[in-house]
Amino acid sequence: MAKELMPGQKRVTTGGILGDLALVGWFAFSLFPVLWMFLLALKTPAEQTTTFFQFSPTLDNFITVLTDRGRTLTGVDFKSAILLSVLNCAGAVLVSLVIGIPAAYAAGRFKFKGSDSLMFNILSFRFAPELMVIIPVFVIFNRIGLFDTPVGMIWVLQLVTMPLVVWILRSYFQDMPEELEQAALLDGYTRKRAFLMVALPLVRPGIAASALLSFIFAWNNYMFPLILTNAGSITVTITKFLGGGGQAYYNLTAAAGVLGALPPFILALTIQRYLVQGLSFGAVKG
Amino acid sequence: MGTLSVRGITKKYGSLTAIDHLDFDVHDGEFFVILGPSGAGKTTTLKSVAGLVDMEEGSVAVNGIDLTMVEPYHRNIAMAFESYALYPNKTVRQNLASPLKSGRTGHYSADEIEQRILTVTKTLGIDQLLDRFPREVSNGQRQRTALGRVLIRPADIYLLDEPLSHLDAKLRATMRAELKAIAQNSNTTTIYVTHDYQEALALADRIAVLRHGKFVQIGTPVEIWREPIDSFVAKSLGQPEINLIDAVVANGRITALAGAIDIPKPDGLSEGKVRLGLRPSELVPGVQVPGHVQIKGTVRISERLGRDIELEVSVGDGHLIVVTDSSKAVAERDDVVLSIDVPQIHVFAGGDPGQDTARLGSAQQISPVTKEVEQ
Amino acid sequence: MVGGHQPPTVSRARRQFRPYLLSIPATVVLIGILYPFALGVYYTFLNYSATNPAPKFVGLQNYIYVFTDAAFWNSARVTVTFAIAATLLETVLGIGIALLLNRSSLIGKIFEKVLILPLMIAPVIAAVMWKLMFNPQFGVLNYMFGLGSTFDFLNADRALWSVVLVDAWIYTPFVAILVLAGVRSLPKEPFEASAVDGANWFYVFRRLMLPMMWPYILVAVIFRFMDCLKIFDIIYVLTSGGPGDATKSMQVGAYIQSVLNFNYSMGSTYMFLLWIIIYVVANQLVKLLNKAQARAAGSEG
Repeated sequence: MAKELMPGQKRVTTGGILGDLALVGWFAFSLFPVLWMFLLALKTPAEQTTTFFQFSPTLDNFITVLTDRGRTLTGVDFKSAILLSVLNCAGAVLVSLVIGIPAAYAAGRFKFKGSDSLMFNILSFRFAPELMVIIPVFVIFNRIGLFDTPVGMIWVLQLVTMPLVVWILRSYFQDMPEELEQAALLDGYTRKRAFLMVALPLVRPGIAASALLSFIFAWNNYMFPLILTNAGSITVTITKFLGGGGQAYYNLTAAAGVLGALPPFILALTIQRYLVQGLSFGAVKG
Repeated sequence: MGTLSVRGITKKYGSLTAIDHLDFDVHDGEFFVILGPSGAGKTTTLKSVAGLVDMEEGSVAVNGIDLTMVEPYHRNIAMAFESYALYPNKTVRQNLASPLKSGRTGHYSADEIEQRILTVTKTLGIDQLLDRFPREVSNGQRQRTALGRVLIRPADIYLLDEPLSHLDAKLRATMRAELKAIAQNSNTTTIYVTHDYQEALALADRIAVLRHGKFVQIGTPVEIWREPIDSFVAKSLGQPEINLIDAVVANGRITALAGAIDIPKPDGLSEGKVRLGLRPSELVPGVQVPGHVQIKGTVRISERLGRDIELEVSVGDGHLIVVTDSSKAVAERDDVVLSIDVPQIHVFAGGDPGQDTARLGSAQQISPVTKEVEQ
Repeated sequence: MVGGHQPPTVSRARRQFRPYLLSIPATVVLIGILYPFALGVYYTFLNYSATNPAPKFVGLQNYIYVFTDAAFWNSARVTVTFAIAATLLETVLGIGIALLLNRSSLIGKIFEKVLILPLMIAPVIAAVMWKLMFNPQFGVLNYMFGLGSTFDFLNADRALWSVVLVDAWIYTPFVAILVLAGVRSLPKEPFEASAVDGANWFYVFRRLMLPMMWPYILVAVIFRFMDCLKIFDIIYVLTSGGPGDATKSMQVGAYIQSVLNFNYSMGSTYMFLLWIIIYVVANQLVKLLNKAQARAAGSEG
């Protein structure tokens, strides 16, 4: 008989086939734009607006966007944008980890006055409309010279990275039995050493998951670099290939899009097991 | 080696008081057992001694030095957790080496550490598991590893929280003997927490019976067995539980079970309702010993429990549980005469069913003054 | 007491201060974010703009202006319409996909790996891609569906729904993986029992699965609805809020006001009102979630 008796299981014949068809339909819809981006990225400038599925593929576009050739041609410096994004996002994640891990540990381990309100306020970063904060930040940054600087970007990216790190790790620390650390204390280790020896290794998957996930979201962020920098970021720079008013480079846009989309996807695959818990800030255990 | 004195320790979790002004002393080299049902506050007591919980009140001192505000890692106290608390990312060997490598339990060369690991794991029978991770061994083996992590190191006080609870019966008996030998040979000061009265009786120099966060009685196993302070303590020791039957004191006699028990009242016992406590193992079927009280009844159920037999005997308008060895087996529905020595009949104050009442003495002699819990 | 002298003590106050110590850096960051937020609220009472760098206090004038401005009400309508439509579509599709994937057919197993692909692509990149596909002259959609070059996905009538489509393309997988985690965590016994009883699929779904899945669905809905209310990236890339005001959501409107027109006070007023909407809605949804969690716990236990 049926091994799993979840609904739908019984109708292996009609229902099953219809279900599979529906799935195929969704994934056709879901994957087509990605496929189309690949195809466009492989086209020559002559083919970019004239052909759909028949063309002579070339990797030229990837080389163009990554080298000075692209900069001379389009005035868009994509390579620098990538480097800047890597710097800003890695910096933001690092700061969030250094600041967030102790806070997550405190909130997950101790019951203290104000911990709930601290956690709630950090979470509200995630749900507040960004411009509410970014408009004043724009004014402040212009005044104190943080406009268009990595320091400024790393600072505001905390809005994206900090809630993820703190909330995901808090749920990890909560799930970790307190007695492990107590055993270490009685073994003669100070609280700091007990934390480093026992707690930290056990939440390593959580640290990896929250770090990678917050990197992805920082990388994908658009509004902050759009408003707070001239140099831009990977997301802002990609739109420049569309050439606001000037010449549009669709094939280069697509190539840049592929390059920009690849890192998040690869990172996401490595933490797939922890993705659900991460995306829901620990509200849903995967 | 150490002397522990605990004064007035109190720990609350919200509105719940886990332990309530506990006072006790554990002498150098003593094996002190805290016995109580789950939720009585046993683990909280141990953790308070170890410095792992923030107490509301009270003080803990070892060898006369006040440790109340001292961090756990400066206390030189070892503890085996009921949850094992083994480091999941370390092997059994690394877990055992952990207390020796912290630098606060002494300094050991790699050879010394390995030697100690071998000695302790041989004793505990886990020497073949050294390179496994805790998730790769059974619960019983985890528990022995946790015990090993404590025994491997020197400490002023050893705290053992139900250290044998997850072992099978045979291994538990072996380990119990092993623990007793270790305690006697090395003269260590140990506080041992258990809900198993047999462990308590077998191991303890003194037993403290804990209920609702308070000590009901502290004494040697013999004292606690012979003179339980109240019916709660009497019920805590012995399996099956002590028979508690309502009785009436009138006209110079104590009568119970519709006259099946009818004995002269001891001096000093005032008239009214009391309860009698008769331990199942003290009731002897079939043998009529002169001077003993004879109770006539009919065997309702006879159950063989290994070497022993458990009888449920209908007596008057109630029944008594009797445990005896198989040589004195009685068939079901047979009449039987149970005899019990008069001093073995405990007399408790009368009370509602389920309510625990103080012990007044035995049917032989009423205690001059009901002893207060030494607190 | 190795040595037998008094070991170092730590006072109760210091012990209790420990978690606060650990939280100080995070609190500093929090203040660093709350300060601009408060400043933004303050802006709403000023007439502050780049052309007026010495602003004056104007009381509620910005609010009065905004509430009597058709453009504001339009952007509020666009925002709420978009948020409801997108959340609804994504929730329905997400639940469907989750249930289909849960049947663990071979096709499902293969697809599950790439389910999250759109979710991980930057919304901006996705929007850029869709913008190219939507192009009436050389976009692939018009070609594939034979719509000719006059059909425009992004004209005034269709633009908002095209934005909904793109949002659903990106975020349906988000709902799907959350709900899928929920479905997989359900206890098996009730379903086995009802299968033995011969209950039909829909009955089982409505009476058994849905109540237990509600908490998971609600978490997804909360995240999606909140995010949809502050939609910016996709719209800004696809239409910049146009044609006309057809897709000018509140955050896009605020961006145009404050960043493009340098009217900081007006942009902040838009944002503070949006913040209030989000706050109220979030409160209600979280209450609903708590109830659902309590009920689901009851029906499982």
